[in-house]
Amino acid sequence: MDVELRPKLVGQRIKRFEDPRLLTGAGRFVDDITPPGTLFLAFRRSDHPHALIKSIDLGSALSVPGVVAVFDATDIENDLRPAIPSSRMKGYYATPLWPLARGKVRYVGEPVLAVAAESRYAAEDALDRIQIDYESLPFANRAEDAVADGAPLLHEDAGTNAIVVRSFGRGDVDAAFAGAAFSVGATFRLRRKTPVAIENRCYLAEWDKRRSALTLHSSTNIPGVIRDVLSDCLDLPGNRLRVIAPDVGGSFGSKGSLYPEEMLVAVLARKLQRPIKWTSDRLEDLASTSQAFDEIMQAELAVDADGRLLGLKADVIGDIGAYSIYPWTGALEPVQVVSFMPGPYRLENYQARVRGVVTPKAPTGPYRGVGRPAATFAMERLIDMAARRLGLDPAEMRRRNLITAPEFPYRSASGIIWDRSGFQECLQAACDKANYDSLLRKRDEARAEGRWVGIGFASYAELTGIGSRISVAPGMPINTGTETATIRIDATGSITAAFGIASHGQGLETTLAQVIADELGCRIEDIEIQHGDSALVPMGTGTYASRSAVLGGGAATLSARVVRTKVLKAAAHLMELPVDKLVAHNGIVSAPGSNQSITFKEIANAVYAQMGRIPHNAREDLVASETYDPYFGTATSATHLAMIEIDTGTYGVTVTRYVVAEDCGRVINPMIVDGQVQGAVAQGIGVALLEEVIHDDDGQIVTASLADYLIPIAGTMPPIGIVHVETVLPPTQGGFRGMGEGGTIGAPAAIANAVSDALSAMGIEITTLPITPDRIFQLITQQGSLPQ
Amino acid sequence: MKPAACEYVAARDLDHALQVLAQAGGDAKILAGGQSLMPMLNFRLLNPAILLDINRIAGLDRIIVKRDMVTIGPLVRHRTTATHPVIAKYFPILTKAMTHVAHHTIRNRGTFVGSLCHADPAAELPMMALLLNAEIEISSATGKRLVSARDFFLGPLVTVLEPQEMVTSVDLPFTSSSTGWGFEEFARRHGDYALAAVAVTLSRRRNQARHVRIAVMGVGETPLRMTAAEEVMDRNNLDALADVVEAIRRAVKPATDLHASAEYRRHLVGVLAGRAIAAAWGSAQ
Repeated sequence: MDVELRPKLVGQRIKRFEDPRLLTGAGRFVDDITPPGTLFLAFRRSDHPHALIKSIDLGSALSVPGVVAVFDATDIENDLRPAIPSSRMKGYYATPLWPLARGKVRYVGEPVLAVAAESRYAAEDALDRIQIDYESLPFANRAEDAVADGAPLLHEDAGTNAIVVRSFGRGDVDAAFAGAAFSVGATFRLRRKTPVAIENRCYLAEWDKRRSALTLHSSTNIPGVIRDVLSDCLDLPGNRLRVIAPDVGGSFGSKGSLYPEEMLVAVLARKLQRPIKWTSDRLEDLASTSQAFDEIMQAELAVDADGRLLGLKADVIGDIGAYSIYPWTGALEPVQVVSFMPGPYRLENYQARVRGVVTPKAPTGPYRGVGRPAATFAMERLIDMAARRLGLDPAEMRRRNLITAPEFPYRSASGIIWDRSGFQECLQAACDKANYDSLLRKRDEARAEGRWVGIGFASYAELTGIGSRISVAPGMPINTGTETATIRIDATGSITAAFGIASHGQGLETTLAQVIADELGCRIEDIEIQHGDSALVPMGTGTYASRSAVLGGGAATLSARVVRTKVLKAAAHLMELPVDKLVAHNGIVSAPGSNQSITFKEIANAVYAQMGRIPHNAREDLVASETYDPYFGTATSATHLAMIEIDTGTYGVTVTRYVVAEDCGRVINPMIVDGQVQGAVAQGIGVALLEEVIHDDDGQIVTASLADYLIPIAGTMPPIGIVHVETVLPPTQGGFRGMGEGGTIGAPAAIANAVSDALSAMGIEITTLPITPDRIFQLITQQGSLPQ
Repeated sequence: MKPAACEYVAARDLDHALQVLAQAGGDAKILAGGQSLMPMLNFRLLNPAILLDINRIAGLDRIIVKRDMVTIGPLVRHRTTATHPVIAKYFPILTKAMTHVAHHTIRNRGTFVGSLCHADPAAELPMMALLLNAEIEISSATGKRLVSARDFFLGPLVTVLEPQEMVTSVDLPFTSSSTGWGFEEFARRHGDYALAAVAVTLSRRRNQARHVRIAVMGVGETPLRMTAAEEVMDRNNLDALADVVEAIRRAVKPATDLHASAEYRRHLVGVLAGRAIAAAWGSAQ
């Protein structure tokens, strides 16, 4: 059979290689690792939102059996340098990151001191005996207050709470609004959220006295970034500092930043010369793991009489919490809100301002979707509000404005370049899959019975697989645009492929093996994928920003091709045939048209173990280490369609139908892509209906347990119909686009539009997420038409 | 989030358990299902000197069917109550209520009696005990007393139980098989603590409601019987529904918390009551 016609593994629904170990309890997470002599940390965290630390009284803490030491900021001052989340953005202030609060605390949950003890129990017993005396300082709890003149400053050195200020613009917005048939606008609010990975954060640091070297096991998805920053902070060269992320139980962005506790275990392992471990409990996770969103978005859209978009204005305040997170900075979320707000639409005139404001809350960081869930919520609501004003079907409204095939590449009003992706095709596919016309009929029949049923769309595009041309976070100095794959065939013929990525639920051990098996021509079961270890490649930043399939898959392709060439050259010597007559497939090199063949195992044995089989001056190790840089990113696009019903008495919202049509380029493993979509839509439903981090007026976090912070559960989930639209493959290696985040981007907007549709007879527009029964009650009460 | 050290005692039998309680000087906590107690210990909201485990005492895990009542032992798990055929036959409203009690894994451990003793105002079983006129047997080393559910609950997480006492059984008297019933609950997610719930039983004679019982929860510091609303419904039919609902909304004093405002809860309890009363009316024979 012609090689090109042989079945490829890319595109197959292959079961995940990770699952047997994870589903049978054979996974190995950081907390599963406890070397002899380990000391356990427990933290005393601030119970004040903003206060000076006046004094610390250890009381009898050190007399608790098993307690070894207690540390506050002054005890480790000379043991490290802080991490600085720097950026090239003008006017930005980088808040230094230290492990423990120095002099003052800036949010409830900030680590102030740590007890090291032989058990976590003893450490917590000691915490009970320590008194910290604080002097309360004034604070502005709400971002809109913190940004005002004269607000109490959280970081005096910054001179302002607005540590990020940026403006975007193109065209003549005022003229566009002046010439518009009408405009629609509102202040949209996407409340603060927290990621809630099933595995809490966990760090274990071990000091090797013999080598003066540190190994940090971390539940992180950026081991290479952590290695590089700790190398600076601890003044240790990279060859004596290794960061390993073993099995990691989810992140959704929350394990993609440097944390104070992570720095401290590293510092103390060297200082005490003992293994140091800290495992977050759920209370600490909800209070201190990086949170998300918290955007106030004032936005206005100008439209002509045919529904064409003329201009967009946006003024965004992002509540970034107490610190700018390392390495992404506090600009990551709010700046992307305004840069993605024009969406997948043809729009010439745009003017936007964004301010990222520090407040006494846990720092925000990356969260699945970053900026785009908020931007899409605001923009898609505006599109529906305009369509309603015109009496135009929301699908038709989108059809008239989504960028069409001939217009690609399209430079968005904020400067993002969209390559050809199925913007229009996904809208059509979603309508077809859902049978939109019949859904509309069902909705109208239900309404005739007095039921509140609504349908909502969300169309969006995202930039994925970003190369070295573009910073993942605005102005961030770290290059995240390259990825290296080191592939080697060893003397036994088995294949090891090492990456700088760090899979933490994405199934990359499966998808990357699929790519390599196709390119190398080996058996997929002979491949081991290694990842999550800073020692594997010279520089690797990890898994985030929908990059690993694109960049990791690209690097895997390049390296696999080099190794295949070496395998074929060796085989040519062994088979005494010209190399161009040979093909590799499924672990066998053969010459089509002849019955000669040789296995990879035989070739490897001949290359490495047998003298003289290959001429000594032609012999090459079967290895390659290639780096891939897509330079630009590539656009992944999708349309979501949600149908919901609101109980007319309780105001509970049930999602009854859900469809996703997405274009992620060539699909490596449709089952894994489906799983990513399902999981991300679940999180998007959480954003839309359930999840909200709430601080009271005293600055206390009141959603610090999973009884009060509600995440979606199985019963919350509708069946989800998924369509993979493959329009034109992008110019990335392999034609892959990133797709891990999209569900969370589309679902909040689609559900907000569906709920607004259901309530449209009362003139209610949803502007705040999550949509709780109480919020619907308040909206209906304000309209003065409370039905019984 | 690790508990402080305490002495652990596994009681051999009821007498042993009551002796330990008597000698603990008020500083013992009883471990049955542990679904509320263990988190409170882990948060160090409770630091008892003694953790008294009653799980090894034989015979406490049974639902005993008597001539005119069932008796529920202190180790009867939610799962047992939820699937018990006699409960389903004589107390279908309780079987329905059980479907709202927490999530699967919690139901496997949590107990009926433990839920009453914990007395969360947004938990189903205290309300059901109130609705079903439960009689609660309380024992100590010095004797026993019977307290009706109406007198048992004093406030959020507060009951008439003294520290040296233990609930040793709960009697639920049978109601007539012609009794109609309705149970309505609304929570942000199914299985969570309710924003509000309403349970109703009534019988119907010549198109009039009789023996009307209406209990509500989530809208006050304890579960409540809506006696004024019951009187409005008594000897009336569904034409009185709007008045009954108004009487309920007038009677409750819900609080605002992070899940819902007081105004919404007042609205909600009326909606649920309307549905539960209509269901009870429809199912009464």
